[in-house]
Amino acid sequence: MQDTKTKIKDGITLHTINTDKFKTDLIAMFLTTELSKENVTKNALISLLLRRGTMRFPSQEELSKKLEEMYGGSFDCGLDKIGNNQVFKLYIETIDDEFIPQSTNKMWKESLKLILEVALNPYIENGAFKQEYFEQEKKTLTQLIEGRKDNKAQYALNRCVEEMYKDEPFGIYKFGTVEDIEKIDNKSLYEYYQELIQDCKIDIFVSGNIQEKEIEELVKDDENIKKLKEREAKYYPVKIEKKKSDNKEKVVEESLEVTQGKLVLGLNVNIEDEDKKYATIVYNAILGGTPNSKMFQNVREKSHLAYIASSSYMRHKNTIFVNSGIEISNYEKALKIMKEQIKDMEEGKFTEEELKEAKKVIMEGAKTLYDEQDSQITYCFGQEIATSNDVSIEEYMKKIEAISMEDVLEIAKVVKIDTIYFLKN
Amino acid sequence: MQVIENLKVKEKLYIEKLENGLTIMIIPKKGMQKKYVIWGTKYGSNESTFVVPGETQSIEVPKGVAHFLEHKMFEQENGVNSLDALTSLGVSANAYTTNDHTAYLFEGIDNFYEALDELMDYVQHPYFTDENVEKEKGIIGQEIMMYDDYPEWRVYLNALEAMYHAHPVKLDITGTIETISHIDKDVLYKCYNTFYNPSNMVMVACGDFVPEELLEEIKKRLVKKEGNGEIKRIYPEEPEDIVKEKIEQKMQVSIPLYTIGIKVPPLEEAEKVKTHLGIEILLELIFGKSSELYKRLYNEGTIYGTPGCEFEFANGYAHILLTGQANEPEKVYEEFKKKVEELKEKGIDINDFTRIKNSLYGSYVKEYDDVSNIARMFLSDKFKGINSFDYLEEIDTINVEYVEQLLKNVFKQEKMVISVVRN
Repeated sequence: MQDTKTKIKDGITLHTINTDKFKTDLIAMFLTTELSKENVTKNALISLLLRRGTMRFPSQEELSKKLEEMYGGSFDCGLDKIGNNQVFKLYIETIDDEFIPQSTNKMWKESLKLILEVALNPYIENGAFKQEYFEQEKKTLTQLIEGRKDNKAQYALNRCVEEMYKDEPFGIYKFGTVEDIEKIDNKSLYEYYQELIQDCKIDIFVSGNIQEKEIEELVKDDENIKKLKEREAKYYPVKIEKKKSDNKEKVVEESLEVTQGKLVLGLNVNIEDEDKKYATIVYNAILGGTPNSKMFQNVREKSHLAYIASSSYMRHKNTIFVNSGIEISNYEKALKIMKEQIKDMEEGKFTEEELKEAKKVIMEGAKTLYDEQDSQITYCFGQEIATSNDVSIEEYMKKIEAISMEDVLEIAKVVKIDTIYFLKN
Repeated sequence: MQVIENLKVKEKLYIEKLENGLTIMIIPKKGMQKKYVIWGTKYGSNESTFVVPGETQSIEVPKGVAHFLEHKMFEQENGVNSLDALTSLGVSANAYTTNDHTAYLFEGIDNFYEALDELMDYVQHPYFTDENVEKEKGIIGQEIMMYDDYPEWRVYLNALEAMYHAHPVKLDITGTIETISHIDKDVLYKCYNTFYNPSNMVMVACGDFVPEELLEEIKKRLVKKEGNGEIKRIYPEEPEDIVKEKIEQKMQVSIPLYTIGIKVPPLEEAEKVKTHLGIEILLELIFGKSSELYKRLYNEGTIYGTPGCEFEFANGYAHILLTGQANEPEKVYEEFKKKVEELKEKGIDINDFTRIKNSLYGSYVKEYDDVSNIARMFLSDKFKGINSFDYLEEIDTINVEYVEQLLKNVFKQEKMVISVVRN
């Protein structure tokens, strides 16, 4: 179940996770590049265009038929923001040969070949993406960006992130802007794409009942891999960062048609030491990470102000977001209670019991990583792009186990409210 | 215990019905860290009129009681909230209510038997007071309002509203702020005593278990209670026709959201699984990723993705729902209808059929990796009278002729509705 790493070329790594626990084989391919205002919209458009077809399967229809023939192979291509990086995430999942009625020869070979094609050999006409696809995907992207207001709770969270990181790459919305779409020209987009695949960091993960050696050879001999150069990958190794802050609370209110108000607090954790993030994970669990947490207990269970009252820690940016949905007229009341919870933490008003429980919840979460192929891959990738040395899941658990009351208090003292975002009617 | 083995996914189901009527199902998964237990009662938002066993008159309770009960079950007489207690043990606990059942669950690795103690204790010992019932109204009120902000939820409920004259499936599972205001502790006790009887309940466990051992542990924790006999559930008579073809709601959305609904007559007991599979194949053929219709509408810029397709059924109802976003929902609807008629006339291509059928088979196999997924699937199928393994077996019996017949019988123009949410 361990992640075995093989260097394919400089900047290109193959990770294999050999396991017979699952019915499926999962292949993931991550292309990591720096997040910038200049390129974000281009990246978003490329991630959409990659889904349209390859030189062998030149349309979405043919690509879909191919996947259906592979007993329902599922394919996904998305875009993520991790620290100051933008990551293209491609996945293909198929059932393992053992469960295919008329056994073929190694379905994962097909999947691997296909995912490399999709990422590295898209359908091209006249030295650019097919013009028709290019035009259609511009519209799709416009719709994606405009559609982000449809999910009000998610929108509120994204807006709080944007407000909090206004002048930093992390404040950029991962799909870019509508204004920038119109500035993109097909030919130069394709040129940009070619540069991108030559200098991004590439990680390929294969999890399932597999033979490492065979995969390694297959990847090394793949035509699409052969055409890639050795590279010094252009990305930001993820490290814990202190946010520039003037220690003043910024209040942002926005109005949209909502029945329920969405209140989000962005909290700054002022630490720089990589090892302190474990204490922050525990701090967050006590504050709002579990049903036993202060937020859930006091905002929901005791004051009945919300159905959702929780917090989450974005460790790459050292930020905690507190999330809730409340009656609009209860804004002051809810905010006051939330601030009290943060204050209580700061004053050390939490118990050994709360600490123990929070740790248990985190440990359980870590152990279940082994039960899910995609979670394990996500964890390994997180290690891959971090500056610190690889921390195995076992080591991670040990570090959590060692966190004391004092460690958490130390964090509690440097947590400051940065932004209060309220979405109302 | 009775053992049912499925050779396709190489899994076994151990099943036992206890004397008091409780059904226990265990699916061992070797090598998995996580253990999952779910305990459900065949009682959901659809049951608001029924006859309490032993009585003669039927009673009607406010809409939303099943869900309200689910919220309130966690509270214990000694002041402990069982959700907190389970979280303290490091497991993750939850509960949910659907149209036809309510379920309580936890998943975790360590402290398994302590958590089982807690789960079985709180589900068997309700504690409702005037005060704790009142306080919950505020929380559920926020839950109802949260759903009001989801256009996906509105477009779905409106489609049901257009299809059903009387069946309670069309109502919000949570009830409304008005209906829940009539709920008090007596109503909750009445419903609890009626539906939370072992003979109306099923427990499913999935994880690295020795089934016989786990069965004994479960039995030890059962409070002695006799089976209470059949509960008569009364549903209003539902005509076969739809209420109205079109329904629309204004909400702030970037582009319109649509749900196309097809009302299906309640399914024959023996045909449920086969019909379900056949409909899934048809929906993929008509509007799936590789379909001509999807390609055309996408290329024209009418839609931006394939619609999500659902086939839902339980006591006294069945329907198909296709939900997506489109610039012109009415056009999608018209083109969908045209495609259905075209397929009826021309017949289904055998290559397309085989490819989609294999693909569907693969998606059923994939269901067997995650312990929570497996347990929930077996529970919800069981309440529909289905053994989940049947899907893997019956798919072999489906041929082109069968789906062509199904297409004619089910995809009828006069049974279709369209619900739209737009600015």
